Amino acid sequence: MNELLAPERRTLIWASCAILLTSALNLGAPAVIAHAIDGPLTRGDFQGVLQHGWLLLAMYLFALGTQYFQTLQMGTVGQRVLYRLRGQVFDKLSELPVAFFDRHQTGDLISRINNDTDKVNQFFSQSLMQFVGSFATMLGAGVFLLGLNPRLGTAALLPAVVMLVLTRLLSPWIKRRNAESLKTTGDLSAEVNESLANFKVLVAFERRDFFRRSFAEVNDKNTREAMKAGVANGVLAPVFTLCAQIGQLVVLGLGLSMVAQGQFSLGLLIGYFVYVNRFYDPMRQLAALWASFQAAGAAYERIAEVLAETNSLPIKEQTQASETPAKGRLEFREVQFGYREGQRVLQDVDFCLEVGKTYAFVGPTGGGKTTTASLMARLYDPTGGTILLDGRDLRTYSGEERSQKIGFILQEPYLFGETVGDNVESLLELERLFPEGLKTPIEGLSLGQRQVVAFLRAVLREPELLILDEATANIDTVTEGALSEILQRLPESTTQVVIAHRLNTIENADAIFFVNGGRVQLAGSMEQAVCLLRHESRTS
Amino acid sequence: MLALLRPYRGWILTLFVLGLISNAANLILPSLIGQGINLYTTHHGLPDFLLKEFLGTTILIGVLSSLQSLVQAYTSERVARDLRTELSEKVSRQSYVFLLERDPSRLLTNFTSDIDSVKLFVSQVISGLLSSVVVLVGASVLLLRLNFALGLAVLTIVPLIAVTFALVLRRVRPLFKRATGALDGLNRVIEKGIVGAALVRVLNSQKQENAKFSVANREARDVRLTIVRNFSLMIPVVTFLSNAGSMIILLLGGRFVLNSSMTLGDLAAFNSYLALLIFPIFVVGFMSNLIAQAQTSYGRVREVLDSPEPDPIALAVEPIRGHVQVRNLQFSYGEKEVLKGISFELKPGSRNAVVGPTAAGKSQLLMMLSGLLSPHSGTIRYDEEYQPAQVTQQIATVFQESALFRGTIRENIAFSPQASTQAWEKALQTAELSDFLSKLPGGLETQVSERGTTLSGGQKQRVTLARALLMDPKVLLLDDFTARLDPTTEARVRKNLVLNYPEMTILAVTQRIATIVDFDQISLMMEGRILAQGTHQELLESSPEYAQIYDSQKSTHQYE
Repeated sequence: MNELLAPERRTLIWASCAILLTSALNLGAPAVIAHAIDGPLTRGDFQGVLQHGWLLLAMYLFALGTQYFQTLQMGTVGQRVLYRLRGQVFDKLSELPVAFFDRHQTGDLISRINNDTDKVNQFFSQSLMQFVGSFATMLGAGVFLLGLNPRLGTAALLPAVVMLVLTRLLSPWIKRRNAESLKTTGDLSAEVNESLANFKVLVAFERRDFFRRSFAEVNDKNTREAMKAGVANGVLAPVFTLCAQIGQLVVLGLGLSMVAQGQFSLGLLIGYFVYVNRFYDPMRQLAALWASFQAAGAAYERIAEVLAETNSLPIKEQTQASETPAKGRLEFREVQFGYREGQRVLQDVDFCLEVGKTYAFVGPTGGGKTTTASLMARLYDPTGGTILLDGRDLRTYSGEERSQKIGFILQEPYLFGETVGDNVESLLELERLFPEGLKTPIEGLSLGQRQVVAFLRAVLREPELLILDEATANIDTVTEGALSEILQRLPESTTQVVIAHRLNTIENADAIFFVNGGRVQLAGSMEQAVCLLRHESRTS
Repeated sequence: MLALLRPYRGWILTLFVLGLISNAANLILPSLIGQGINLYTTHHGLPDFLLKEFLGTTILIGVLSSLQSLVQAYTSERVARDLRTELSEKVSRQSYVFLLERDPSRLLTNFTSDIDSVKLFVSQVISGLLSSVVVLVGASVLLLRLNFALGLAVLTIVPLIAVTFALVLRRVRPLFKRATGALDGLNRVIEKGIVGAALVRVLNSQKQENAKFSVANREARDVRLTIVRNFSLMIPVVTFLSNAGSMIILLLGGRFVLNSSMTLGDLAAFNSYLALLIFPIFVVGFMSNLIAQAQTSYGRVREVLDSPEPDPIALAVEPIRGHVQVRNLQFSYGEKEVLKGISFELKPGSRNAVVGPTAAGKSQLLMMLSGLLSPHSGTIRYDEEYQPAQVTQQIATVFQESALFRGTIRENIAFSPQASTQAWEKALQTAELSDFLSKLPGGLETQVSERGTTLSGGQKQRVTLARALLMDPKVLLLDDFTARLDPTTEARVRKNLVLNYPEMTILAVTQRIATIVDFDQISLMMEGRILAQGTHQELLESSPEYAQIYDSQKSTHQYE
């Protein structure tokens, strides 16, 4: 939190000065009026009253300026902090590995970036200003109370101590209730997001009731938690009010008995009440602000959870030891992998891919083909063994180097921006597919068309290692022919890894690997591969 | 917006009454103190009854305001919950096209931030505003009764303040609209960044994604800053205007005192009543912010709630035989014609295929058959009488993208657990899932994540097939179903379908001719038209285009 506020320190100091000035002017104005009434007005000197009037006008105009400045500055700080906080969360998200997203729901992450940061903002832009102002007034009044009469002052402030202790005791509970409520808000957002993303299925299967039901469930839960949080947030205010009034009562009782003993004048006691109110009124405001402070704290913790996530795929230092004589382009050495603890998706995988050759990976669905490809592109790190790219541990490459060397066309093509041109720079001879050329909007493209774009996007980068994970599964054979021509135009040193079910894409391969049950074995020939495919039982 | 609150008027009235009583009780305390001091000066002692009265009032206020905060939390959350329920029900009745046009990111903001603003309105504004108005009116009456001329002079500030509010709010309202729009934009960028996470990492394109996010983030900040600038002018101006009130009292009141038309004590009282007047004015000022925000948000939610729904259509009661007739179907995306008059007929229980190149319009055809899209002209009839929307319970579609929901595999296959054990077995076995499931430690209860990342592409596709089969549909629509399956599995699934669901009409859209050679009818579709129709053998002879596509795939045959 501190680093977020650090760049704003100067603004905050100036704004605080403005707040103090405004408070001082507001405390001062009644004194001027009192002086005008006591002095010139009682003397019958209207000229003097007028002079006081001018002074008041000057003070009010000055307060207009300082208040404008403080509101503007504090509001600006709030928005800037919010801007930075959202940016930090998004930066963090783009740095975290794919595995992080397997664990979190999109809607919940959106809720963290938008809703939770907004809770922090609400505190900054609305509450912080009042917080500082109320605190200043309270402090001033407290000093007056103790200064005028230490004994009566201590008695008057005693309920405040009770409040302080109570606040300290209740704060963790208030924060916890808010945290629970924010969590269910995240769940609600996740539910809505998922259902909207899969709306096609809900409509086609006439399972709209499924959406209604599952939404009703998270909605009820969210409402329950939000009510509890609302109760928690409202619990302090009445208690604060009660304490304030007891403070008044104490002053009344003790003050009158002191007047009876002649230690105090009645006029002074009336003045004393004004200060008691000046002390306790802002404190009641603080009660409401304190709840928003706790809510902001709970929200910040949810954000901090994301910010504290460490990248589990760090770039390793390149050491002498990790340098081995280059044995081909890509080598898997005794690679083990599982998505979860204890799960074995790949076991003892060993193979080596040569420069400039084409390899086919075949096997039944769920056998581990996509996992093998994901490890090649370092979407995940192996749980055991090493992967070497050009003789260097894959983990020592920076993201930039890696993406230059490796091109990966994923099973589910995902396109950026709004038009085809946002994804590829040249369309080659495939204009037939895209009526408006590079300006063809992505919305409404068929899966096959999207695969073509994803294909071009990867190939145009001329990577050294190109991985095609069922990249042409939804493309017709004629278009596919055009695409494979493009592949042939790649530099000769390009190593290609092809995962496919169609034989024509496989038959040009220099070697075929058969992937099944988490093991990768080299099939001697095309015939052997076909034989394995036909007869090996599916283990998945 | 007030119409929204009508069903809760009982609660809101309670809230109002509680606020009113505790405010009134608050006004009693100063008079009790004054009474105490007065009694002291006359009797030289503090009577017990006064202490009791004071304590009693204090406790009453404590209880009332606790109750108020309880009712506040309850009412506002109820309103929010009911509004969300209403919205979810509305969305659930809408068509797929509506969702695409509305933009899911925007709907997500409707469900979350927008309804939150409405909630804030209920919890903060209603009680705050109502009690402020009461205090304002009360204080004004007291001022006028004390000294009519001076009271009138002081109250001139009230319309001035109202004008200031109105001016600023008029400028701010469109900004609030833009601010929520900016939030939609942020949601969209974030969602894309998350859904495309894997690819972003492969392409190392974090920089570009971050740049996009920065643009959206900056837009959101800048709109908000403009709002801040407007409000930071408004609040000091309002303060100044109310301060001007005390100047009027001092100068004009001072004149009256000097004229002896007013006492000094009344002047002091005027000042304290003005203090009473100023606080509610501020409350109204702060509330105006919330009101403007809530109005914009509620307007956005209302737009969805008031959107026209597809006409309710009577569902077919009788089971259909599975006859499908398509006549002269036309469809276009903007300028681009996708389907240019498609006609065909599927016999009950027959197996049919549509083959053709990428972007021929095949997927759109399936979406129309399943009732997701409406044709721009032409008709689709099931059993010669029903429209697609009438028989959605009896037709099932397996889409290209395998959409899974977070939950167990069982929940993903049966959205509601109604099917019999036999139906389950048949569906799972046909989709070649039985072996796979028996090897999973959790079986059907295995959890899958939102994006289905725990299953492979082929496994996901088989799960979605099982989902379709469990409905025991009369017509099964398959969109490029075989693309992600290995040939062995694919062949088995095809055999299982014939064996276990012999009476089902099947329409498969595909690229691979080899998987459909034995189908009853094959239609070759190119550029939105059906070029040829017949069995595999007939087409090989009659259609050179078909023969060409078949030739280009020939090498795949040995493999399959």
